Amino acid sequence: MSNQATAVPLKKDWEGGVSPFGVSYGKLFMWFFLVSDALTFSSLLCAYGFMRHKFTGQWAHPNEVFHHFPFLPGRDLPLAYVGFMTFDLIMSSVTMVLAVEAGHRKNRKQVMMWLFFTVIGGLIFVGSQCWEWYHFITGPELTATYHGVYRDYIMNGQHIINPHFTGANLVVNSYTMLPTFGDFFFCITGFHGFHVFSGVVINIIILLMVANGVMEKRGHYEMVEKAGLYWHFVDLVWVFVFTFFYLL
Amino acid sequence: MSDFFEEYEGYPNYEKMAIHDEAHGKATRKKLWMVFWIMLIVTLFELFIGFKYSEVLGETNKEYLFIFLTVAKAFFIVFVFMHLGDEKKALKYVIIAPYTLFIFYLAFMAITEGVYSWHIKDVISAVAMHQ
Repeated sequence: MSNQATAVPLKKDWEGGVSPFGVSYGKLFMWFFLVSDALTFSSLLCAYGFMRHKFTGQWAHPNEVFHHFPFLPGRDLPLAYVGFMTFDLIMSSVTMVLAVEAGHRKNRKQVMMWLFFTVIGGLIFVGSQCWEWYHFITGPELTATYHGVYRDYIMNGQHIINPHFTGANLVVNSYTMLPTFGDFFFCITGFHGFHVFSGVVINIIILLMVANGVMEKRGHYEMVEKAGLYWHFVDLVWVFVFTFFYLL
Repeated sequence: MSDFFEEYEGYPNYEKMAIHDEAHGKATRKKLWMVFWIMLIVTLFELFIGFKYSEVLGETNKEYLFIFLTVAKAFFIVFVFMHLGDEKKALKYVIIAPYTLFIFYLAFMAITEGVYSWHIKDVISAVAMHQ
């Protein structure tokens, strides 16, 4: 009987009884989910590429729009803060993969430490995005002139757009004549930011599960690996958003 | 749920296959930090090129360089951080091939039609004025 049991794992990949992909069902379907999510983000970026080429010459230059840095008002530092955000996300990706690696060694304390750093990195990123949205929406000159706040108003039955308006919303923005620029900024970074936010929530849940010893009971830390896949995917998307939205 | 699978005699326990010892972990960590430094240098290089040498390179060359570096970074994330490089060939193809094919097609369509729309924008506005 024992001889037969050792003979069973010699089955071929597609003969049944084993996973042809050599992974557990959870990890396989995490990958499938990530592919579908990647298609969503890709379609957003392709739509951006369409509009960008359609309005060649009229599009805003991102390094003239995103040139602020927290605690350094008035300094012209193009894309420096976005670069910092990219660094932060890559860094948190590294801490996540270190948590996964510690999970493979079943080292509970190290998993908790690296997961904690990952959560902190994710929170820094979400906070940075809030800051960037605030500056994108209010515009650079909000503190100088209050009358720039009102975008448009109705006077004598006519729709008048305020020439002093600074900042952006879904209908108009002061960076370019094209509302599409603001729309794509809100849509793409907002969709990505929501992914980061849900990733932080997932990481916190996994951290609590690890702290409660759930993974010890299961005998493996694969749940950390699955959450890690999602977190790396968020980093992956940001790499593309960083290039296509900010750099090009 | 795991009990359900353990009922099948000989079904491999894939969840526990990645478990490794301290020595193996040390080699893995070294590789991970190496990849981190590569990605950091590439990102800094991109920022540096982005607003220092865009005139020297030319707009088109700069765009191609950025796209190449981005795809390189994506490769490192997917194949090292997400461990797709350690998976079976079947899984690699199932994840990468359909996605790549579809996105090449979509990007090609979007860019081609975008450029076309830009070329005929005067025609469109002339027609709109005429009506």
